[in-house]
Amino acid sequence: MPNIRVLRDIKARKGVAANEITRRAYLFVARNQSLPAQVRYQAQLQLNSFGRYTRPTTVKNRCTETGRGRGIISEFGLCRFQFRQKALAGELPGVHKASW
Amino acid sequence: MTCITPSRIAALTRLRSSIFQTSYNPTSMRTGAKYLRRRLQGPSMMQYYPLEVDFAALNRANPGWNLIDRDEQQRLQDIEDRKKRGKGTPTKAKNKGEGRRAQRKR
Repeated sequence: MPNIRVLRDIKARKGVAANEITRRAYLFVARNQSLPAQVRYQAQLQLNSFGRYTRPTTVKNRCTETGRGRGIISEFGLCRFQFRQKALAGELPGVHKASW
Repeated sequence: MTCITPSRIAALTRLRSSIFQTSYNPTSMRTGAKYLRRRLQGPSMMQYYPLEVDFAALNRANPGWNLIDRDEQQRLQDIEDRKKRGKGTPTKAKNKGEGRRAQRKR
């Protein structure tokens, strides 16, 4: 069972995916200098009215095993400790402990 | 040495953009095209966490299945055990001023 932070992150991901196309359209209008200023302003107001969990920056890659937010090894989506444990257990193909 | 007029250079860039099929934008005006050109991030964002089986939703969708969620049962059992040891969640105050904090302060 994922913890609350992961659930919140999943909520943000769903929100981003659902609103991405409309947001892009408003962004295009708001940033387009060839359009009248009034239209661009209205588009910016619409952008501001979007909820918090519709912005892509609210999404954070957390550990898929524990939900930890820091020290994520992005190639595996795991935090450093889970990465170590799984690597030592041989659950990550191609990863083994350095020794020389 | 011949002098090249700005209008000639403008004509050249216009021709060049028509040949190479790029947009002609001599004043470098912001068109917002980059927001349309970028790939959509949503689909790949949705794939980050591995899918978990939602037993409650399955049972709701299919009456009579009654699948058992071991983790959920364990959680409920743990809560029961805590309650037996007197470690359950405190009851919510029904009216204002009846809360534990409010009574203690008096």
